[in-house]
Amino acid sequence: MKLLEIFRYELVSRLRSPSTWIYFAALLGLSILMVEGLMVQEAKGSGNTGNNFHVNAPFLIAFTMVFFSMIGMAVTAGLFSDAAVRDFQSRLHPLFFTAPIRKSDYLGGRFLGALVVNILLIAIMPVGLILGLQLQDLEPELLGAFRLEAFLLPFFTIVLPNLFITAAILTTLAMLSRRALASYVGGLILFLGSLITAEELVEQTAFREVAALFEPFGFLAVRETITYWTPFERNTQLIELSGLLLWNRLIWMAGATGMLVFLYVRFRFGHEAGRERKRYKIIPEVQDSVAVRPAPIAVPRGVQAVTYGTRVRQVVAVVGRSFSEIFKSRVLLLITIASLLLLFINGWDAWVVFDTPTWPVTHVVARDVLGQLPPLIYLLTAIFAGELIWRDREVGMSEISDAMPVPNWISFIGKFLALVLALVALQAVLMAGGILLQAIQGYYNFELGLYLQILFGIQLVDYILWAILAMFVHVLVDQKYVGHLVFVLYYVLFSFGRWLFEIEHNMVLYPAAPGWTYSDMSGFNPFLAPYLWFKLYWVGWALVIGVGISLFWRRGREGGFLHRLQETRKRFNRPTGVMAAVAGVFLLAAGGFVFYNTNVLHDYQTYDARVAQLAAYERLYKRYEGAPQPRVAGTSYHIEIYPDKPSIGLRGNYLLQNKSAVAIDTLHLMIDPDIEVHQMEFDQVAERMLEDKVHGYHIFVLEKALVPGDSLQLSFALNFETNGFTNNGVKPALVNNGTLLDQRRLPILGYQPDKELKSDELREEQGLAPRQSTPSVYDEAARLIPPQYGEWSHSETVIGTAMEQVAIAPGSLRRTWTENGRRYFHYKTDVPVKNVNVFFSADYEVLEDKWKDVQVQIFHNPGHQFNLKSMIRGVKASLDYYTKHFGPYRYSQLRIVEFPRHEGGYARAFPGTVAYSEGIGFLARVKDGIDYPFVVTAHEVAHQWWGGQFAAAEVQGKRVLHETLAHYSALMVMEKAYGPEKVRQFLGQFQHRYLVGRQNRGHLEVPLLLSGDQDYIHYDKGAVVMYTLRDYIGEEQINRALRRFLEKHSFSNAPYPTTLDLLSELRAVTSNSLQYLLTDLFEDITIWDIRAHKVQTRLTGTSSYQVTLEVEGIKMKADSIGRARPVPMNDLVEIGVFAEAGEGEELGKPLYLQKHRVKSGKQHITVTVPKQPASAGIDPYYKLIEWTREDNVVAVDAANSQF
Amino acid sequence: MEALAALSIENISKTYANGVKALENVSLQIPAGMYGLLGPNGAGKSTLMRILATLQEPDEGSVKLGEIDVLNEQEKVRETLGYLPQEFGVYPKARAEDLLIHFAILKGITSSKARKEVTEALLRQTNLWDVRRQKLGGFSGGMRQRFGVAVALLGNPKLMIVDEPTAGLDPAERVRFLNLLSELGENSVVILSTHIVEDVSELCTNMAIINKGKILLEAEPLKAIEELQGRIWRKIVEKNMLSLVEYEHSVISTKLMSGRTVVHIYSEEDPCNGFEPVQPDLEDVYFSTMAGHYNADQRSQIQEVVS
Repeated sequence: MKLLEIFRYELVSRLRSPSTWIYFAALLGLSILMVEGLMVQEAKGSGNTGNNFHVNAPFLIAFTMVFFSMIGMAVTAGLFSDAAVRDFQSRLHPLFFTAPIRKSDYLGGRFLGALVVNILLIAIMPVGLILGLQLQDLEPELLGAFRLEAFLLPFFTIVLPNLFITAAILTTLAMLSRRALASYVGGLILFLGSLITAEELVEQTAFREVAALFEPFGFLAVRETITYWTPFERNTQLIELSGLLLWNRLIWMAGATGMLVFLYVRFRFGHEAGRERKRYKIIPEVQDSVAVRPAPIAVPRGVQAVTYGTRVRQVVAVVGRSFSEIFKSRVLLLITIASLLLLFINGWDAWVVFDTPTWPVTHVVARDVLGQLPPLIYLLTAIFAGELIWRDREVGMSEISDAMPVPNWISFIGKFLALVLALVALQAVLMAGGILLQAIQGYYNFELGLYLQILFGIQLVDYILWAILAMFVHVLVDQKYVGHLVFVLYYVLFSFGRWLFEIEHNMVLYPAAPGWTYSDMSGFNPFLAPYLWFKLYWVGWALVIGVGISLFWRRGREGGFLHRLQETRKRFNRPTGVMAAVAGVFLLAAGGFVFYNTNVLHDYQTYDARVAQLAAYERLYKRYEGAPQPRVAGTSYHIEIYPDKPSIGLRGNYLLQNKSAVAIDTLHLMIDPDIEVHQMEFDQVAERMLEDKVHGYHIFVLEKALVPGDSLQLSFALNFETNGFTNNGVKPALVNNGTLLDQRRLPILGYQPDKELKSDELREEQGLAPRQSTPSVYDEAARLIPPQYGEWSHSETVIGTAMEQVAIAPGSLRRTWTENGRRYFHYKTDVPVKNVNVFFSADYEVLEDKWKDVQVQIFHNPGHQFNLKSMIRGVKASLDYYTKHFGPYRYSQLRIVEFPRHEGGYARAFPGTVAYSEGIGFLARVKDGIDYPFVVTAHEVAHQWWGGQFAAAEVQGKRVLHETLAHYSALMVMEKAYGPEKVRQFLGQFQHRYLVGRQNRGHLEVPLLLSGDQDYIHYDKGAVVMYTLRDYIGEEQINRALRRFLEKHSFSNAPYPTTLDLLSELRAVTSNSLQYLLTDLFEDITIWDIRAHKVQTRLTGTSSYQVTLEVEGIKMKADSIGRARPVPMNDLVEIGVFAEAGEGEELGKPLYLQKHRVKSGKQHITVTVPKQPASAGIDPYYKLIEWTREDNVVAVDAANSQF
Repeated sequence: MEALAALSIENISKTYANGVKALENVSLQIPAGMYGLLGPNGAGKSTLMRILATLQEPDEGSVKLGEIDVLNEQEKVRETLGYLPQEFGVYPKARAEDLLIHFAILKGITSSKARKEVTEALLRQTNLWDVRRQKLGGFSGGMRQRFGVAVALLGNPKLMIVDEPTAGLDPAERVRFLNLLSELGENSVVILSTHIVEDVSELCTNMAIINKGKILLEAEPLKAIEELQGRIWRKIVEKNMLSLVEYEHSVISTKLMSGRTVVHIYSEEDPCNGFEPVQPDLEDVYFSTMAGHYNADQRSQIQEVVS
């Protein structure tokens, strides 16, 4: 009964409180906005074809709800901490504690009351979603059938449990500490926990499931559940409460209940000092001294003087007082510990690629690992700002301190500086932590300067800008919890809402700036300058906000907003005016400069404008797509790279030859519009018909048409330099060190279809017809069209750069000299190469080696020497294998050249050269992971054959001929060097990525044979398929087929080769009994689901065991949206019986390993082995593509081992 | 007639957002020395105190401290203001001395030598010297109140506002506290708001009685007592007789004494009926004023009669 009364009172008082209704409105608004911001955006995606998720696909609803419950934690923290500490704050607790109520009534009533209110509040969420969906004007194909259960199920399985979990944890924290703050910090830590598990652990295969179990909000569990769901399944299947999600919920519900029990046990009904075990020191009561009649002492007057010195001293005093309050609250300590925890958990194996971490170099630790902290720290600044602003009022000292003769700005500046000090302390600890982490990991090159620049320069400035905003919000809102909520909502707007509301200009949303990255090669260049300018502009705003804070600073009893607004007029005195003027001038100056750069110097384009520009390109020039153009038959360049400016001057000559059957009189040329064209001339009379600088499109008409077989010279002079910055910063091509200049920035002939607008949705908005799909592999006519860059030609380059740098161009180095304080290099190709040219310049260190007569070089950044040996080994092993099996290597050198990571994290093969990003292997730390520097090298070297020696037709499957075959080749090389175990580990990832890739929105899945631009098919599935084929058909046979394919098509002209040619070579080496496999793997989308149910063994002789496996086979063929239908299976599948597994092994030595015919459904397979087996199964090495691999092998049941 | 007012309050009115009229047209002339503001809870005392302490603003009216316009030159007032609010808290984990020093700096005492002298003197005078290194969270109500006085006394304020200081104190603490207040300099204005009559009678040379936002009486306590001479009568009655007495006479107060009721009435003539005259005290002034038998207007009439 008493519980009921406390419950009722809590409920009623909550419902009467305006903050409850503010929460209500905020949650309703948030859920409506999430429809547009999350669901619609996600569903529309950015894909090509019509196969989208529905806006109301059950999985999207579930994800939206998960995010909602994370954000909703701000409300939960407010409600429950208030319920928990209200009595202590209002000092009413003695009345409750002395009333004849039991602890359970008190705690239960309070908790349940707040819980019911919160449930009522959060129940608005599905309503808001449904409402939001109604408000959307959606194309019918974006909307699935309305299913109430799709909303209710995740509400009951995700949102409500999350609410209970967070409520229990936050209440316990608040009740036991008697501080509201504790629950906010608890919330932050939960959020952080989710962040840690979601961001980092999942990158490592082994941790995925564990992370899904222990991530508090069920986000990972949902993600893991649907990992392999195809678009069809995503649109139709509900996320049932089972498996990982169920366990996750059970674990956390149990944990939350445990927390409540703990609260019940530990909570003391009484004065704080009465607690039996003291976790914190209780302030002891002080014995009053004996009363003495004080002799009248003249109190010294104390010189009061208001000078600047006084003001400074007062600021210092406020800083000290406030910082000591922050410090004593232990929040800083907790957050510091939590941040360190994140640093160590995430940084321990940072930046994992292929299960292999990266060396903890300073920029990885400071930028990539600690770069995950900002959201947390923004929230922390809000908490501290709230504390600092409310502290005096909460302890009841505000009337005394408000009556002190100090101006508002002193309290403000003092508290603000205390907050800054706290941030500095945090950063200092994190820096020490980072260095410790590096040292533990055995990396001793602590770049202290870089730490300082990142932690105390870039990050701290950002934090401080947020801190000012947080103070402003708290001063203006003047309601602590609502202030926190407003801040959180602003952050949500800042990070998600800007896409939703299309707030694109970085000058609009405080404190946005273009991104930046760090490269060991180029440092912060070229990103830092624009970043800093934008931040400087925001500092201007921060000063204005600071003046606003002083004006609105709450002082005294009058809290009404209107009153304070009137007050500001009175407070706006001379110094404030001067300060405001200074801030204004600063803001205008910095803002003016930024605006000049983004909108005057450059044409500011919104996303929509850029889309429209792409559409215009297509509308204007698509008509020229089929126009025959001459082909490049030779190139020469003179390139001047000025790294210090930075700028690039480029003069070039193209020898153009008409290889078509008709005369050509019109030439179409495209050049990156960012590049200034000085000259563009032909060696015969040509009239310039069009110079479109916006799209970089140029048309020339030849006076005398170029007859077939004839050629002409094009000469051009280009200048490429940075001109201020745009709203998005600067193009990364121009840097002080690490220039990469490739064909994207060279003139190209003809209309370029790949520059077209690709998203179907945007095309429709722009009134463009859906994009033509890649021509079919069966389109004989398309095979005749010469592919882009498909011509073989010679190239000669003179390239100059700064003295300390080395420049690299295609071909062999003929000569190098210095001239005018610059270094020059002359390169020339020895054999005709594909016309894909790339030029580099940087301060390189070179590792030289040799393979037979081939010069092997690695041009790398000094200090990036970790994996050079692996790369060299990779080059040599590859050349060994490929020359033996596929044919000779064509060039007299093989260079690996490093380029800065901001150009991309890829490696790409050019003739005789591999451009290799510093972000993909130079810093890899290969311990027991996969030696991917070795494998990537092998892959790129393989491209010297696959892609380097033939030009594939521009039809479906083109990239299979490049990437799948390069992957296969690299796997073979890897297997020779590292053994099949490692290859299987690697392939496991490919299979995972393929199955995840199948959900890829906006793409229709196609069989391998037809893969277009779907990386997950030609890379990931391709690798699995080829390795499986190798196993079934044999390495010799496969290599023979590949070699024959290469011999037939190398350096050939039309018709250009396709995957059909590859398939027919493969079919030629495959026995009849296995032809079906080629169909399954190449021509269909086939998924197997095979499992072993039971294994029984029987001793049949002295040393002979009969093993009977009960296995089940299911084989499915999927359509393009992932709808799978079972087909009869009669396939050869490997059956394996294994001995006891040794230390660290997954399976023991195979006692038996043979392929058997397995049919659909359950069946028994009996084999005989010579030793006692430990486990047995079907497809134990996962050669077929399957969703679940765990059920393939079962342990031999010893007790059950008699028939 | 009155001494030159150090603090003059003219026609102050304050109405809260919920319609409560906290102060209505209040005017007071307050000379240097101890000034008592007496009134029941909710009379508007604290509002007035906070207005004087620059923490609130009246809807209309003006306040002058000497030359300073209190309402518009808040900064100047604060430099010479000592304020002890009715209810206040302290940072529980801060030490007394540290926090006092902190406030000394805020008051502008920046020379560390002067600060040391001032804080030491104040801590000794408030008898907190021995516990100066203790955390404030452990202080009793009286100690905390004395700490508040120490803060208020920093910089020898010209205007000292002490709002209901004795409310939560035990008798011994109260005595000590009043002793401390009595030490306050004679040059400053000390306004003591209280609902305890003894506080005023023991300390103040001038006083005002306020109720429901209006000033009912402005007087010197001794003179006011004098003026009631012969008009206060008392009688001990049984409880059941009380209503009859109230009906027949102007009862200003009833008190229990050893289980019986002592009635004080206001009467300009001998009411007979067994009433005996009593020597009036400030409490009788207070209750007569509250009961409406004695007020500023009446007093002036009386004075006219007398003169």
